[in-house]
Amino acid sequence: MLEKLVNGFESFLFRRRAAVIVLFALITVFLGYQASQLRMDAAFVKNIPLKHEYMQTYLKHQQEFGGANNIMVAVQDTSGNIFNPEFFDTLRKVHDQLFFIPGVDRSLVKSLYSPSTRFTEVVEDGFAGGPVIPADFANTTAGLEIVRNNIEKAGIVGRQIAEDYSAAMVTAQLMDFDPQTGEPLDTIAFAEQLEKELRAQYETDEIKIHIIGFAKMAGDVADGAKGVVLFFLIAILITAVMVYFFSHSVVLTLLPLVCSLIAVIWQLGLLTVVGFGLDPMSILVPFLVFAIGVSHGVQMINSVRRRVLDGQQTKAAAASAFRALLVPGGVALLSDTVGFLTLLAIDIGIIRELAISASLGVAVIILTNLVLLPLLISYTNLKQDKLGVDVNRDAKVQKIWQSLSKFATPKYAVVVLGVTAVLYAAGLQQANKMKIGDLHAGAPALHQDSRYNQDTFFITDHFSITTDVMTVIVEAFPEACTYHEVLTQIDEFEWLAANTPGVESSASLASVAKKVNAGFNEGNPKWQLLPRTTASLVQAIGRVPTSSGLLNSDCSVMPVYLFLEDHKAETIEVVVDKVKELSAKMDNDQLKFKLASGPVGVMAATNEAVAEAQLPMMIYVYGAVFVLCLISFRSLRATIAVIVPLYVVSTLAQALMTQLQIGLAVSTLPVIALGVGIGVDYGIYILSTMSAKLKDGMVVQQAYLEALMERGSAVIFTGLTLAIGVSTWFFSALKFQMDMGILLTFMFLVNMLGAIIILPALAAVFWRKPKV
Amino acid sequence: MLSCMLRSACALGVISLLSTPVQAASIESQIQPLAQSSLLLDIAPAGDTLVSVGERGHVLVLDGDEWQQVETPVNSLLTKLFFLNDKLGWAVGHDATILHTQDGGQSWQKQMQSKELEKPFLDVLFFNDKEGVAIGAYGLFYRSLDSGQTWTEEFHSELLFEEDVDYLNDLKSQDEQLYLDERAYLLPHFNRILPLSDGRLLLLGELGMVAVSSDKGKTFDALDFVYDGSMFNAIELGDRIYLMGLRGHLFSTDSELSEFTQIELPVSATVNGATQTRDGNVWFVGNAGMVLKMSPDGEISELEKRQGESLVSIIQDKDGRVWLSGTSGVVQLQGE
Repeated sequence: MLEKLVNGFESFLFRRRAAVIVLFALITVFLGYQASQLRMDAAFVKNIPLKHEYMQTYLKHQQEFGGANNIMVAVQDTSGNIFNPEFFDTLRKVHDQLFFIPGVDRSLVKSLYSPSTRFTEVVEDGFAGGPVIPADFANTTAGLEIVRNNIEKAGIVGRQIAEDYSAAMVTAQLMDFDPQTGEPLDTIAFAEQLEKELRAQYETDEIKIHIIGFAKMAGDVADGAKGVVLFFLIAILITAVMVYFFSHSVVLTLLPLVCSLIAVIWQLGLLTVVGFGLDPMSILVPFLVFAIGVSHGVQMINSVRRRVLDGQQTKAAAASAFRALLVPGGVALLSDTVGFLTLLAIDIGIIRELAISASLGVAVIILTNLVLLPLLISYTNLKQDKLGVDVNRDAKVQKIWQSLSKFATPKYAVVVLGVTAVLYAAGLQQANKMKIGDLHAGAPALHQDSRYNQDTFFITDHFSITTDVMTVIVEAFPEACTYHEVLTQIDEFEWLAANTPGVESSASLASVAKKVNAGFNEGNPKWQLLPRTTASLVQAIGRVPTSSGLLNSDCSVMPVYLFLEDHKAETIEVVVDKVKELSAKMDNDQLKFKLASGPVGVMAATNEAVAEAQLPMMIYVYGAVFVLCLISFRSLRATIAVIVPLYVVSTLAQALMTQLQIGLAVSTLPVIALGVGIGVDYGIYILSTMSAKLKDGMVVQQAYLEALMERGSAVIFTGLTLAIGVSTWFFSALKFQMDMGILLTFMFLVNMLGAIIILPALAAVFWRKPKV
Repeated sequence: MLSCMLRSACALGVISLLSTPVQAASIESQIQPLAQSSLLLDIAPAGDTLVSVGERGHVLVLDGDEWQQVETPVNSLLTKLFFLNDKLGWAVGHDATILHTQDGGQSWQKQMQSKELEKPFLDVLFFNDKEGVAIGAYGLFYRSLDSGQTWTEEFHSELLFEEDVDYLNDLKSQDEQLYLDERAYLLPHFNRILPLSDGRLLLLGELGMVAVSSDKGKTFDALDFVYDGSMFNAIELGDRIYLMGLRGHLFSTDSELSEFTQIELPVSATVNGATQTRDGNVWFVGNAGMVLKMSPDGEISELEKRQGESLVSIIQDKDGRVWLSGTSGVVQLQGE
């Protein structure tokens, strides 16, 4: 029945091949135009699992306490001392400039120059205080001496001033949406403005500008992603050269490449049509589409070429190749599509985008490389004598196929399966050690020596605060902060949380109120506690403004800030566990300690979402592949023979991640699913040839040998070509692209090996007795 | 009078507090890794070792190079320590807490605690293993004659300001309850009680209060002091007594306490503590991370400024190391 359908398609399409090709051309023009409209797009909210419990807390209080999308600008004086007029002049300009960049929440721009930066000191008759930079500030040596004294009194060293007085900090919160237009913030444009209006304008030999924060990171990733185009070109070139050696024909080289590029154009165009931008993090998808396209294109030209070499006319050869490959190719690509669609189950915007863009891309390959390609080939006039000889007739190649086919004999199969089992066991053990989240300090998407990460290290080294802040939100009742017991509990929570390894320092209304209370008692440290009398408590808290971020207007919500050493997954996990343990103990009807806000709170949620998503994602991907293989092969044994090697390779890839210290994160999570999608192609092509022959009663070894002769060279060739193409990513300016390059190279190569070594061994075991 | 009225108002705050709908947190101290860097307000020698006390009922004992936290039955902020000998010691603090140890600080028993009093003890002194006094905020003064088993309050009306005496007398005839409420907050804070080598007691407190007692603190004579800011500590060194207080005020006097000379300091931060090391240098510590050294010839230099910290106590251990304590815990003084 399936065969009839395929034949029907064939005659339908090949009779109208001119019209079909024109249709393809029109669609390509339309989608090409759409693709040219595609913008880079990186929004903070896309990176977070919005439905996660922590993020619900985060979103609930984002208005009052700002979110996790902040930016830090450290202005450094290279002389090591900031107290000179030029520096203060620049600092003021940087503050003002940042204030006016659209997207910045102006009420939350903080530096020495913001009026909310105040000092208080104790004098005989009470308090004295004022802004650290007084209203009558004169930028002179004398004026700076006053500021220096005020800075010490204000206790902002380590936060707004570097511990060694070599730099000062300007911080700002970003708004995800423009309050006037409602437009989402263009993160990449914002990052460019930071670069142009701050760094380019104010950085000199004496003054260095260090900028960190999500927006800057996204901007730098986008910059690095532009380099992807170069890698793309290199990969196309390498592929072209290799395909030429494979096909001995310029036409057969160009056509699969052109069709694969058409698939990429369609995919990019469709992104615009469905209203997406191209996120820097999923910049690799077009390449993946190209790679998968080439993989199927090579099968197609291989099939045509063999038929032409056998003496068929080009058109007939193309038509019969179409018939032969539509089902296995279609199944493989559908498996890919469904496999990528399963990524939709993950509640992180950027992964969902990836799911949609990758599955769109793979789905269009069915049209471009399984339909358009043979149609285009049918117009060419391939000459039998110009195509070289069929590699299979080469004695050496014959020998290789002969040797490979031994894997399909029970004797060798046992050895192969034994080795596979050992590899799997070892791999599984390593894979279980795979870490979730970021394993390195700084931004994991970028190299350690990138400007962004160098800036991060400067700030971490010179300031006691970083962007590695986890905020625990304490939800209470209105006026809760006037109750001694409430603040005592917050204080105790903060103290116990601060005692967790990985927490460097902490802050809350309770700890600040204690210091203020000491202030009200002549600065005497013996009174640095939460007073039991409500009046004294209110007096102390009254000095803490809501702009401090320590309380909301009716003090029903009071965050506890935990500043962490870094944002490595283990660090976060330990702190999250401790907070959960404490809140389980301390939560009651009126007081709830809730995770979490702040950049690390977001990371914690993301890590958990990624960890939770991993298993279901694998189940869905394999489930999809399983069902599709079952439908097309109508054989459980065949299905298992395809899936087992894939699964072993997935496990080994995870082991590799452990070995290379690549954490399972938003950027690497899809690689496993993508890897399965790519790997399944090889197995399906080989087994589809075999299973027909096995059904006819052929011995496994013979069936495998014939499959190798027919498709083996294409499989091995594709694996090698794609692996070489992606391995160039190793030199990428983006760390995550390098990581992906390593992982994909591994996936391409080892899946290919799995398909030609493990698969036949499994087949040898499954079909021990040929049908009679 | 304004401050008195305020204090009375403060006292009324109790009522609303008692109706708090939230449960109280834990009441015992908890052993935590960062206890050594928590707020620690005093270090005192107990035999060969040192003991330090501070917030959340923290008590730490120096063991070799390490400070070991020991358990205590309270989580109140402890302000002061006193060791009579290498075994017997007392620690006092907020919530009118008095703790007692009989094993050199390893284990502690609660002798008194009264959260309702809402006053901290700020110093404690035992004359022998039976009789001692504990003093604190708003003229808080308790005496024990049985090693601290029972404590009895004393009210030192002789240290009231004259106008307050009249005010109280008026009040007493009109409203007994209001009289008691007001009286509870009229005396200045008693910050420090120091036994002098001649057997007298020196009492320092708020608003320039300096008083002497010759009868183990049963009665005090207030001296006419030259400064009206708070005085926090004093140290007797040979025939000189040094008194230290708010905003860089350091005074020197003879053993007769007859004349006070102010000593100019390079920093105007409050001076909280002092000690003399074996090399003859005298050290002063205070707010704004101040560490001052006074050499035997009287020259004063600022040795260190510990950013963002307030220092309260300084002492040398038997091995010659000098330890500081304050808002960032107990640390060794480096680079002498």
